[in-house]
Amino acid sequence: MDFAFYTEVIVRLLGAVPTTLELAFVSVAIGAVMAVGLAMMRQSRIAALDMFARGFIFVFRGTPLLVQIFLIFYGLSQFPAIRQSWAWQYLREPYFCAILALALNTAAYTAEILRGGLQSVPFGQVEAARACGMSGFTLYRRIILPIAIRQALPSYGTEVILMVRSTALASIITLMELTGVAQKINSETFRAIEVFICAGAIYLAINFLLSRVIMALEYWLTPHLRAPKIAAAPATNGVAA
Amino acid sequence: MADIPAVSIRDLRKSFGALEVLKGVSFDAHDGDVISILGASGSGKSTLLRCINMLETPTSGEIVVAGETILMKPGKRGQPEPADRKQVDRIRSGLAMVFQSFNLWSHMTVLENVMEAPVHVQNRPRGEVKDEAMAILAKVGIADRAGYYPSHLSGGQQQRAAIARALAMKPKVMLFDEPTSALDPELVGEVLRVMRAIAEEGRTMLVVTHEMGFARDVSSRVLFLHQGQIEADGPPAELFGAARSERFRQFISRHADG
Repeated sequence: MDFAFYTEVIVRLLGAVPTTLELAFVSVAIGAVMAVGLAMMRQSRIAALDMFARGFIFVFRGTPLLVQIFLIFYGLSQFPAIRQSWAWQYLREPYFCAILALALNTAAYTAEILRGGLQSVPFGQVEAARACGMSGFTLYRRIILPIAIRQALPSYGTEVILMVRSTALASIITLMELTGVAQKINSETFRAIEVFICAGAIYLAINFLLSRVIMALEYWLTPHLRAPKIAAAPATNGVAA
Repeated sequence: MADIPAVSIRDLRKSFGALEVLKGVSFDAHDGDVISILGASGSGKSTLLRCINMLETPTSGEIVVAGETILMKPGKRGQPEPADRKQVDRIRSGLAMVFQSFNLWSHMTVLENVMEAPVHVQNRPRGEVKDEAMAILAKVGIADRAGYYPSHLSGGQQQRAAIARALAMKPKVMLFDEPTSALDPELVGEVLRVMRAIAEEGRTMLVVTHEMGFARDVSSRVLFLHQGQIEADGPPAELFGAARSERFRQFISRHADG
């Protein structure tokens, strides 16, 4: 085995990891904010908002991400109105187009994951909060969202991992993230096996770490689903039974 | 001071679709009253209780809590709805409710459950609320479970935690919706003992229950609902003694185990 070559490839590929992570996390962050909005629109019982959110989710879940990237990067430039607008300074950048496509795509999926979480909140617990005089934003912040997010977390973890993998598609529109750089090395050396094994291993490592972080988050958020830790009960201020 | 009833219900009606569950119920609950609401299932007793804090919206009639009438208005499809959500929230924070299925918040410890409404609804200082919460948990006998999550408690402990959560709001009236019906028989006693202790403190309680013992021995007054109307109303000694209502006599004979 040519360790020197592997080392060289890995070092060059690691240089592209920040771009990959940036694409993934910026689009996941934007997508998450949009998803909360879309999920609320779906739950709002206002027909126009519900229909808009349904339509958005239908389109972005139902078409390939690659097609969405092509439409945004190549398609939008066909319209003179867009080329002359303020948005063009962003829309001509592959980086921005990739982020936009990834964010819109994950927003659609995350909205549905979150909606599932919201629907699984036991009605009795919401009713108990209402009976205390809680309503509106406080009810969402203190009771509904904490329960919904805990329910949605396992599926959401999968979605974040999918997003890391989806960033590879950005290489098609000339973006030099992990897969883009791997392709470049491959075209220079024609040693596809070594190059793409290294690229695959780096994706694997990123997603391994990510899945551990998500597991830790799940563990931390769901003490009520584990056996009680008797010793960890908080001090009772001397008002023992 | 004029005696303003803690809760006053005037000609309350409630329909679910074509089914009229409450057919004109009126009564007053005064401070310190412990009222047991009895009736066969489907008699409307839970619906009556749930209308008092607007968990069900009455079809017509009037609910007055401590002299304040809950304002209603016609909704979009003509059905009545509360005119002022803020008023409903304010009134609810003075009417704590204990549910059949406990409904503790699963993501919070027992102590956090008890502190939640005083801190986040009544905006009282956290330190003061915590001391009170621990004292209340000691009173219901689960201070040693303060740091546990509801899923780690028995049904009886969960219901006592739910009663502690209700007490922490310093409610003017406590509403109990079949608080022992979801419990294993051997756990009913511990919850009833806590309820009896609360009743003896002079709290105003409205209790929908199937526990004849509690109705007869603890409550100051018994309402018997039959098909959405009050069929019998009076002190337990009177009703359980020479029950004048034939229906109530049949009802208690079916629940003789109490």
